[in-house]
Amino acid sequence: MTGKILSEDPKLALNEICETCGLPEAKIKAYIEEGVVEVRGDDITRWRFSEISVVRIQKAYRLERDLRLNPAGAALALELMSQIEELKNQITRLQRTSR
Amino acid sequence: MEFRDYYALLGVEKSATQDEIKRAYRKLARKYHPDLNKDADAEAKFKEIGEANEVLSDPEKRAAYDQLGKAYSPGQDFQPPPDWDAGFEFSGGPQNEGAQEQNFSEFFENLFGDAYRQQRATDASARFNARGQNHHAKILIDLEDAINGARRTIVLQIPELTQSGHLAVRDRKLEVTIPKGVREGQHIRLKGQGAPGPGDGGSGDLYIEITFKTHPFYQAEGSDLHLELPVTPWESALGGKIKVPTPGGVVDLNIPAGSKQGRKLRLKGRGIPAKPPGDLYVTLQIVLPPADNAKARKLYQTMARELDFNPREDLLRKAGKHDRARARP
Repeated sequence: MTGKILSEDPKLALNEICETCGLPEAKIKAYIEEGVVEVRGDDITRWRFSEISVVRIQKAYRLERDLRLNPAGAALALELMSQIEELKNQITRLQRTSR
Repeated sequence: MEFRDYYALLGVEKSATQDEIKRAYRKLARKYHPDLNKDADAEAKFKEIGEANEVLSDPEKRAAYDQLGKAYSPGQDFQPPPDWDAGFEFSGGPQNEGAQEQNFSEFFENLFGDAYRQQRATDASARFNARGQNHHAKILIDLEDAINGARRTIVLQIPELTQSGHLAVRDRKLEVTIPKGVREGQHIRLKGQGAPGPGDGGSGDLYIEITFKTHPFYQAEGSDLHLELPVTPWESALGGKIKVPTPGGVVDLNIPAGSKQGRKLRLKGRGIPAKPPGDLYVTLQIVLPPADNAKARKLYQTMARELDFNPREDLLRKAGKHDRARARP
């Protein structure tokens, strides 16, 4: 089975992202407000999302739902997780250098 | 089927209050949430505590479970007695925290499965013809698979209802093509491989996140690769051509004369063959030859005698300045 690598180009409209994520428009808007995902296009009818946004939105939603967060809390969790990821990579690199 | 000790799963006493149970569950949920905890068994653990919470946070289910638990010890083989739940009324459906989209153990199914499913069925009938849920999975691949492309089998665990109405977990194998040039953290979407939707809604998609196994000498960062390259003191001092492994094969790398420890050299386009291809960064690690034989010791002694080299000169000058400044009244 051959899949497609999710693209980072903005190409999905708001209704498409709602359908793919199975979430209402209001939730997507809340995530945009909190910076969970970025959107291209000036007015709402021209908004375009990247495919990778789907993954970020659904992760934020799972955290929100399972841990009773609000969108701001979920956004913070995602941000801290990516910082941890970066630090872990740095540690691995430093450990290799000091060996 | 084994008797499950839900109290032990949440780490609380049998006498715990509802508030203590709630706090214990929330703490563990944050610890084991599969999006936050990268351990392989985090998801299983998260489901277990969700199940424990589903029972213990509901006073009716908890009372029934306690009644039953009197006769059993954890891990003991267990069959629910007929009409075991007579006299208890279960009104709580899956509205409790942690109960969303979960599949519970056989133990849970035998005890509370029917009441749980009836509630779910009522909930589900409200939304027909919706698209099925997207599923998420992770695949751990070798860096070489990303460099060359590969076909790999992933095993997903799919909960299914058996003919007797029990829940069983079935392994579902999927052979997936790893596209050449994929980067760590990228996602592959397999259309229609998620959960089937109710009605005519069609199936959801399966999203697979790519993660790399630790490589013996490369470290990936995006589509770039990093390599620590051991060199001799004379190679770094005098420069020269040395052989370096790259994903595309061994190449000759020109070391500039006077290269210092930790110097980074970039081999353009020699990283992961993505579009555009990443680069390979080579960091020089100067390795000193051991002075473990007479010949080596003699060479070191010659250098000590012949070379006018004191790496602490600057340090001592600064230290002297520092002391003089402090001595001033």
